[in-house]
Order: sequence, then C-alpha cells, then structure tokens
Amino acid sequence: MENLMGGFATVFQPATLAYCFIGVFLGTVVGILPGLGPLTTIAILLPITYKMDVTSAIIMLSGIYYGVAYGGTITSVLMRIPGEASSVVTCLDGYEMARKGRAGAALGIAAFGSFFAGTIGVVAISYLSPPLSRWVLAFGPAEYAMVMLSGISLVTYFSSGSKLKALLMAAFGLLLGAVGSDPMAATPRLTFGVFHLAGGIDLVPLAIGLFGISEVLSMALQKPEKMQVLAAPTGFLPFMPNRDEARRSAAPVVRGTFLGFLVGLIPGGGAVLATFLSYAMERKLSKNPDEFGKGAVEGLAGPEAANNAGTAGAFVPLLCMGVPANAITALLLGAFMIHGVAPGPTIIERQPEIFWGVVASMYVGNVMLLILNLPLVGLFVRILEVPRAWLASIILIVCLVGVYSTNSAAMDVLLAVLFGVVGYILRRYGYDLGIVILAYVLGGVFERSLRQALAISDGDLAIFVSSPLTITFAVITAVLVIIAMIPRRASPKPAQATSTPTR
Amino acid sequence: MRMTGSRWTALGLLVAAAAAYWQASLLPRWGFDGPGTGFYPQVIAIIAMVLAVVMFFVDNEEPSSSVDDDNAVPRYGHARPEERRVFHIYLLALALLVAGCWWAGFVVTSIVVVITIMRFAERVNWRASLITAFSVAAVGQIGFGWLLNVSLPEKAPDLALRTLMRSAGLL
Repeated sequence: MENLMGGFATVFQPATLAYCFIGVFLGTVVGILPGLGPLTTIAILLPITYKMDVTSAIIMLSGIYYGVAYGGTITSVLMRIPGEASSVVTCLDGYEMARKGRAGAALGIAAFGSFFAGTIGVVAISYLSPPLSRWVLAFGPAEYAMVMLSGISLVTYFSSGSKLKALLMAAFGLLLGAVGSDPMAATPRLTFGVFHLAGGIDLVPLAIGLFGISEVLSMALQKPEKMQVLAAPTGFLPFMPNRDEARRSAAPVVRGTFLGFLVGLIPGGGAVLATFLSYAMERKLSKNPDEFGKGAVEGLAGPEAANNAGTAGAFVPLLCMGVPANAITALLLGAFMIHGVAPGPTIIERQPEIFWGVVASMYVGNVMLLILNLPLVGLFVRILEVPRAWLASIILIVCLVGVYSTNSAAMDVLLAVLFGVVGYILRRYGYDLGIVILAYVLGGVFERSLRQALAISDGDLAIFVSSPLTITFAVITAVLVIIAMIPRRASPKPAQATSTPTR
Repeated sequence: MRMTGSRWTALGLLVAAAAAYWQASLLPRWGFDGPGTGFYPQVIAIIAMVLAVVMFFVDNEEPSSSVDDDNAVPRYGHARPEERRVFHIYLLALALLVAGCWWAGFVVTSIVVVITIMRFAERVNWRASLITAFSVAAVGQIGFGWLLNVSLPEKAPDLALRTLMRSAGLL
C-alpha cells in the first residue's frame, strides 16, 4: 500500500498528471477514429518521449493503450467499424442496440462497464502481480504452445456460424502471421518474391482492410437510408441504461472483468481474445442466445468489460516478466528499453517508482476516461447524421493515413485494399474475420513456442502431453476441434424452402 | 455439382492455401537443431487446404440476401443497377487510393478519392464535393502530416504546397 501511495504521489505531480491526461485523451480520439489504432499512435509518439522522464513517458503511452479501449467502443456502436481489434465484438450487439434506438444506452453501458473493469483490473495488478508472475513464469514452451492452441480452438468453437469456417479462418490467420521473417532464424518465407513482404504483413493494413475497407464496400451496396437508422440522443439521461438494461448488464460486466483480466495475463492473449471469449461465454450462459447479434445487452456489456480488464491484465506479463502480451505492449517494452529500464521481476524492487507510478496512473486514467467519455459521447453520436458520401470518404482517407503511416509504404495501402475486397467476400459468405486477426496475433508466439518445444524434445510430440497443464489444454483443444469438424445438419429455412422448391 | 458463391469462395481459399504450401515447401522442414523455417507454414497450409476442401464439398448454401435480411452483408448479385453502379465507383476509388499513394501523394489522392465517391458515386453536387475534398486534404496534410508529423505519401504537389505555405510564413 505504501508503494501504491508513492505511485499516486508521482502521478499527482502536475506534469505527470498532464501526460496522463494527454495519453487517455489521445487514446480515446484514436480509438474513435477508424484506422488510427493504438499501435500506430504509440509508434508515432514513441520518438517524442525520448527526452521525457521515463515514468511520464510510460504513463502517457499506457494511457493511449487503455484509452483506446474506451474510444473504440464509440465507432463500433455507432458505425459498426471497430476503432481497434479488441472492439470487433462490440460491433455485433452494440451496433444492433444502436439501430434499435438505444445508442446512448449502449455507450453508457460500455463506459460504466469499462470503468468498472479498468478499475478492478488495476486493483488486481496491484495485489496479484507478484504471485501471478511466479505462476506464469513456470510456463515452458510446450505450455505456451498449448495455451495458444487451446485459445484459438476455444474462439473457433464459440464463434457464431459454421465451426469449419471458423477453423479455416484460424488457419488463414496463422498463415498470414507466418508471412515474413521466420521468428527464430530470420529467414524470409511466404513472400512470393515480394520484397516488402519480407518484413511480414503488418497488423494495421490487415485489420483496416478486413474491417474498415470491407465495411466501406458493404456501405456502398446498402440503401442510403440504412445509415440514418440511429437516432442521436442529446443530454445526459439518454446515455443512462434503463432498469432492465442495467440489471442485464451487471453480471456480464463482473464476469467479463474477471475473465478479461485472466486472459490478459496470457502472453498473446490480451484484450482481443478476452472480448471473444467473454462474448462466447455470455451467449452460452444466456437464456436467449438467439438474441445475440441482434442487440443483446449481455453481448455488449461482457466483452466491453473484458476488453478493459484484458488491457489491464496485459500489463502484468509486461511489468512483471518483461514479456509483451501483444504488439502494443511490445512497443511499450521498447519505450522502457529506450529509457534504459528493463521491465521484469526485479522492477518492483529496484525501480518501484516506475512500476507503482504506472499502476497508480491507471487508477487516475480510468477516472479521467469516465469523466471524458460520457459528456463527449454525445458529440460523436452526431457522426451518424453524416450522409454516407461524407462518411465513406472520410473513413477511406483516415484508413489511408493509418495504413501508410505505419511503415511509410504504399505497398501497405495496396495490401489493405486487397484485404478489404477479400474481407468483403468472406463476410458475405459467413466467414468470421475476427478469428483471422486473433490467429494472426497469436501466430508468432504460438510458432516460437511450438518450435522451441519440439527442439527441446527432438521432435517428440509427447512433450505436449508431458505435464498436467499441457494435458488439460491438449484435451480441451482436441475435444473442441473434433466437435467443430462434425458436420451438423442445417435446419431448412422456411423462406428459402418456399422460394426455391427445387433445391 | 453446382458452383455456388460459397463454393467459389472455398475454392479461392484452397488456391491461396495451396500457394502458401508451395512457397513453404521450398524451405527446410527440419534442421539439425529442430524444426526448420518451413515446418510451421507447411503444417498450417496443409490444415488450411484440408479444411478448404471440406468446405468446398460441405458448404453449398447461398447466404441470405440483403433484401430479406437486414443483418446480411449486402450482396452484389441481389443489388439493383444503381447500387451496383455505386459499388463499382467505390471500387474505382479504392484503386485510385492505391495508385495515388504511389504516384500522386497525399493531397491529390485524397482530393481525387473524395470527389470520386461524393460526386460520381453518390451524386453530391460539385460545390459540396469540392469543398469536402479540399477540406479533407487540408486537414489531413496540415493536421496529420505537418503538425503531428505523421508519415503521409509525399510527391511533387505536396512538396510544392509545403514550399508555398513556408514562403507565406504559415509553416
């Protein structure tokens, strides 16, 4: 507790407080803007922090990371375009709630749920970091590989629609993640002779293409009136959920918080996996699973809480082990190293002001985000009144800025457009694109762990069932994949049966 | 066997997985110190090919059309001629976006893309289209490009504009 108080003393210094505010505000803004994600923003701002104090720099960059989770919700709910990958799930029910005239309530539930989860997540970091880091440290390559594999299997199993299609998308996500340099030998592969691909396919063009550009193409084929379904609430009260919505969102928020934090601890897990798992869990627990995807409050509240808790959880392996949970925390790790600080088990003892300063800033940052988000959300609701012509043009240009700025490469823009067209086709035929992103993100850690484990065992696959932990994950994976592969007879749709009687 | 859109999609995925396998097969599967560079992509590509083949034979259903289902991604085949026209021009705008990044720079690309969408796809009047196009280009270039130092595609028109702004004392 004394250390935490010391952290608060650091944060409440005017300059540090200002950097915390700048971070969460920027995070919210880039979360709102489709295309400009936290990865791009942190990468852009990283050089600016060179001359800053290390604690302030990390506090500002961390603020962008967890602020994005709040901001991403707004575009997901209002435009069905995720500001970043972990907001993909929010699109499903948040957008449908908004279409039913409950945009304000959806944003209110998301903001309160995110605040609760973010705060609980930070409390958990404060108290659970030491024992959890010791437990995670016990993972070997085989354990990591099986955790990743079972994570992907769980997500495909719980995905809506065909499980086979979900498995296929997971395989393609892993393949896309394998393009570029081999993570162990740095040999280029799957490049088809294209020099630009030697560095791999970046997450930004892939995500913007699959979600942003494919959405613009879908908009082009929609009737214009579809963009004007949502009513823009004004004032504070419309953002408050009604009694039924509040009652239905309470338990999913609590469940999402705990699930999100635990998943966030797993390197490679983080907020994206947490949101998908939370959504799947809520649908399984729901008495009305058919309502999911059509504006279920539980489908919004759970994943939103999991998103923020997962973001908080992802800081644990970073701060306690020096292992980034995802690409964004990898950039934060880079920021630490630029300033000559090596995060890891010793940071709590040797540089407590940094560790506890960052932790305390998250408490403060979450309060700032709640205060910022609810009043500002009303302004962003008005985005829906913008006609498709303006909206599509602006989205495309922001996507261009986001994609190009990542590597300053026109090739990335080409890739994003190609992924956009492919994404539109795949979405049209019922393929879940969120799984592609998830498998892509997990692919690097999964391959490294898999190959390390096989190298240790000299190719003996028994290493993956050599401990109770790996056996548990192996059984989970096997059961889920077998269930997914069993073809199920689709129930005929009455409308189709009558319209095409010859089929 | 009837070739539906679902089957064409599965076939496309099969071809992509086969191409990935071909590339991966050029790399060593196993080395003296364990799995080689090609091991992982080969295994994943084989899994993807098997799944795509299964999908090809199993998935024969056409998804519901946007006419009947509001949640469906709008389908090109069911779109009216006017909607198809808009879709084609959006595709053209995407092509212009890519080409512009290579050869025209940010300002020209954003102006051309915005006008293509607003004027030619959505039939917004010229005045509003031009005002929006120039505003988007200006905000993007000045806000992102110059004030925030975000890397944007930069060609002769962008450099000329920057020089002009500098000479006017605005930068």
